[in-house]
Amino acid sequence: MTDYINIIVFFILISCGYFFGKHAEKNHYASINKREKKMLKIPTTNSRHPIGEIPDVMKSRLVHGNVVISVDYFKRILAGLRNFFGGPVRSYETLVDRARREAILRMKESCPGAGQIINLRIETSSISQGGKNTIGSIEVLAYGTAIFFYPEN
Amino acid sequence: MKYRPSLPEHNDNISHNQQFKEFLTLLSGLIAIFLIIFWALGFFVDIAVTHITPENEAALFSKFKPVIDLKLKEPSERQADLQAITDSLRECMEVPYPVTVRLAKSEQSNAIAFPGGTVIVLDGLLDKVKSENGIAFVMAHELGHYINRDHLQSMGRQIVLLALSTALTGTNSGISKILANAQAAGIARYSQQQESRADKTALQALNCLYGHTGGATEFFEALDLEEKGFDNKALHYFSTHPELKKRIANINSLRESMGFETKGVKKF
Repeated sequence: MTDYINIIVFFILISCGYFFGKHAEKNHYASINKREKKMLKIPTTNSRHPIGEIPDVMKSRLVHGNVVISVDYFKRILAGLRNFFGGPVRSYETLVDRARREAILRMKESCPGAGQIINLRIETSSISQGGKNTIGSIEVLAYGTAIFFYPEN
Repeated sequence: MKYRPSLPEHNDNISHNQQFKEFLTLLSGLIAIFLIIFWALGFFVDIAVTHITPENEAALFSKFKPVIDLKLKEPSERQADLQAITDSLRECMEVPYPVTVRLAKSEQSNAIAFPGGTVIVLDGLLDKVKSENGIAFVMAHELGHYINRDHLQSMGRQIVLLALSTALTGTNSGISKILANAQAAGIARYSQQQESRADKTALQALNCLYGHTGGATEFFEALDLEEKGFDNKALHYFSTHPELKKRIANINSLRESMGFETKGVKKF
């Protein structure tokens, strides 16, 4: 009997993971798209030099944004199945995409008055890597140099 | 060159496919592979079992101790009586090796045939079955599994299942643990066909020992009475023991077809 209960619990977890994960992802993408449009005003580059002709620089400082996003149960099981058959792990793609964009957004939002952000770097770190039975999550850190210009008169 | 900030029109970093469909495809593929391997290995087990001679079986499993929380009782008069019934049944049946009967304390009523010739009787059985004939039928049924080599087949299949689940999910997974427990308990699962065959062998042995087959259905009737309290159809659905009513009917029709009589029973 325990076997059947375990199987039923497994499918309940899977469907919870699927519906909650889908809902969270939809909301997150809506938020990302909206905020990205808003943050377009701060040009960001990974180059060491600012883009184009710039006014006089008033100050510069280090800015960073980081995010941790957890994998839902459904995605994890799907990735596990992929692990068996091989092939692209599509279920993790949206996670990586969301985490990267969210980290950059947070970095930009931390310096609303900046003219540009240069020297952008993106890193993935891992909190849970290596440990057994730890939560599966993706962690992204974005950092760069925000430069502030003197107002043009 | 003027810098114009803009967002990409299309997100190429993610796959716009249906994950649920992918999940179903992969899962059904995995289950199919699992079933094919299980079926194929089970088939080899059935062949291999016919090549294990009783001597080999005894040698392989003489040291086999069921690792379960069965509380084996100290030898008693009742155990000796059960042993005596079993020994006289053996004269009617061709069980290829000596069979030892042990009593275990339990609220459940069942008898389990372990490889190597040990039958463990859970003593709840003795509360349910009051006649010697009824007990003889249960023992003859277990001996029937030995004659038909069902116990080796079911054990072999369990080992295959355990090995497969360990390979797929790892030794520490919940599924493997459940299977390992069932394996350790030695609780054999027989198919309905195997059960009916053992019932038939048992009827013949009962008729040979007592000259009639009275008491053959006593155990099942007692179980049936007990289960009337609960309507657990769901449990029956998963059970490998044919539903009790069906089983009693089956035994009765076997009795008729083989022309066995039913007479009074001896008290145990």
